[in-house]
Amino acid sequence: MTLIDALLQGILMGLLFALVALGLNIIWGVMDIVNFAHGEFLMIGMYTTYWTSLLLDIDPLLTLPVAALVGIMLGVASYYGLIRYLLRGPAIAQLFGTFGLMLFLRYLAQFLFGIDYRIIQKGILIGKSLSIGPFIFDWTKLSAGILSLLAFLFVYWFLNRTKTGKALKATSINKEAASYMGIKTDKMNAIAWAIGGGTVGIAGGLLANFYYVYPTVGLLFCMIAFACVALGGFGSIKGVFFAGLLVGILEMVFPVFGSLVNSDFLGSHFKFTVVYLTYFIIVVFRPQGLFGWKN
Amino acid sequence: MEKLKDALDFRDFSRAEQIGLIIFSIFLFIFPWLGSGSFVKAVMIQFLLFSLFGMGWNTIGGYGGQVELGKAQYVGIGAYTVALTMVWWKIPFWVSMPMGVLLAVGYSFMIGYPLFRLKGHYFAIATICTSLVLQDIFANWKLVGAAKGIELPIHDHPDFLYMQFKSDTYYYYFIMVLFYVALFYMNWFRRSKLGYQLRMIKDDEDAAESLGIDIRWCKIKAYTIASAFVAVGGGFMAVYNLYIDPASVMDLDLSIKIALMAMLGGAGSLWGPIIGAAFLVPLDRFLGSWLGGHKGLIGLDFMIYSMLIMVVSAYQPRGIWGIIEQFRRKGS
Repeated sequence: MTLIDALLQGILMGLLFALVALGLNIIWGVMDIVNFAHGEFLMIGMYTTYWTSLLLDIDPLLTLPVAALVGIMLGVASYYGLIRYLLRGPAIAQLFGTFGLMLFLRYLAQFLFGIDYRIIQKGILIGKSLSIGPFIFDWTKLSAGILSLLAFLFVYWFLNRTKTGKALKATSINKEAASYMGIKTDKMNAIAWAIGGGTVGIAGGLLANFYYVYPTVGLLFCMIAFACVALGGFGSIKGVFFAGLLVGILEMVFPVFGSLVNSDFLGSHFKFTVVYLTYFIIVVFRPQGLFGWKN
Repeated sequence: MEKLKDALDFRDFSRAEQIGLIIFSIFLFIFPWLGSGSFVKAVMIQFLLFSLFGMGWNTIGGYGGQVELGKAQYVGIGAYTVALTMVWWKIPFWVSMPMGVLLAVGYSFMIGYPLFRLKGHYFAIATICTSLVLQDIFANWKLVGAAKGIELPIHDHPDFLYMQFKSDTYYYYFIMVLFYVALFYMNWFRRSKLGYQLRMIKDDEDAAESLGIDIRWCKIKAYTIASAFVAVGGGFMAVYNLYIDPASVMDLDLSIKIALMAMLGGAGSLWGPIIGAAFLVPLDRFLGSWLGGHKGLIGLDFMIYSMLIMVVSAYQPRGIWGIIEQFRRKGS
């Protein structure tokens, strides 16, 4: 029973992870840049939801558009303010540049809001749970899972059905060929960053409903997102979805197995260690990921 | 003997650099007698330590061009070996430090072999992953003190075998000796066969491979050398701080700092890591103590720090040394 329970909880978390990883994957696919600040974008999304819901006294779920907007602006601002300049340099400069952005955003949050752990107290979903048969779901997690899925499907639709989305895909497949067809790479890059920031902003808003908000929350989710992207395949949208689910299930189911054996090394402290190890094994033995086509 | 001569040979540098090195060496040597406070002395020790780390990182990250962001795990291995063997079996520092280095070398071989199937971003993230896994293990392993860490036993009398001194001056001279060993080694390394091979790999892997260079083996060798350097520094950290925990010797921030200093100073040049450390360590410490004291200014020091990183990586990826060289070329 606990195993099935963990599985269901894992799927809900996995949907959220998939949304977090989606933006990272699009940026990675389009520009071949790793955004280390991705987790910090999530953190900003969380703080946005926290503060808007607290200061305007509205339900956290209603703040999602604000979180998305802040995410989009953050993405676009990072692209025009920093990433464009980094593109001229070598790969090492790109890595460190986004790393600098990550540190900057993290300590900016620490400077503005302090190092306290905050959690949203008020909201129509908070503290309520839904029981279906023997299973109990927190409404916050359930809504996070469902809304993540919807957001993910929307982006998927956008990429496959709209003209801009197709242009974005074309750029990620072959930048030069796409630019010969009249697709402006610069604009596509900015759009990729906007989508990346927007989706992760929404994910942050959803996460803030049931997770503590603090300045260093980003690193963990950034690493999870890296693992999802590696697992799913770099640049593959379908892949990152299933990878997110897999990682979510893994991190929920592993502690259940761990609790059966009494050991220092199988407890729930290690649920994310398993994720890191999975990343390592996947990239070493199958660098293109489970669904990937870019090598 | 020939190698030693090479290591001490700085003739291919410009006159200005040679004079700079001499002045810098004299300054380092007389520094403890300048009557500075204990805080400044601690900053200097930190500076030498991070120069040592940075020079190690420079082998793989600078000359080899592989972005390595997991050096903290080797700091941890070095530090934990020294601390644990001292607590459990009272093994002197002079035995346990080489043991730590050997362990780090062995571990880096083990990890480096699969790791160097990867390139670029994938490699960088994988190094972070391995480092985080090791940190998680040490933070939960009760035998090694888990997240609480280990305190080293403090001796009543100064003890050379266990590297316990009353005054920071002794630590200062010890780390200075290590610094010079590293500097001379790096001076030899940059003109060694491996050094040239690595630079070739950095420029063009395919071309290097077509000339018969075993790319993966070269990278593993450089990675191992880097790990050994860093493990020595880790051992020093254990005896100097007398307390270690996973958060202080294995944290990702430490890995980042190591790589960052080398890159900010100028990766792939002999002086780069030293310049980077000379720039960032005092900035970090003085800003930290100056701003940290003011309540409400937490994090401002790191904000300045990270803005510097962004500006340097956007405008001069070759770091401070790159800027200096640019000016020199314009001048001549």
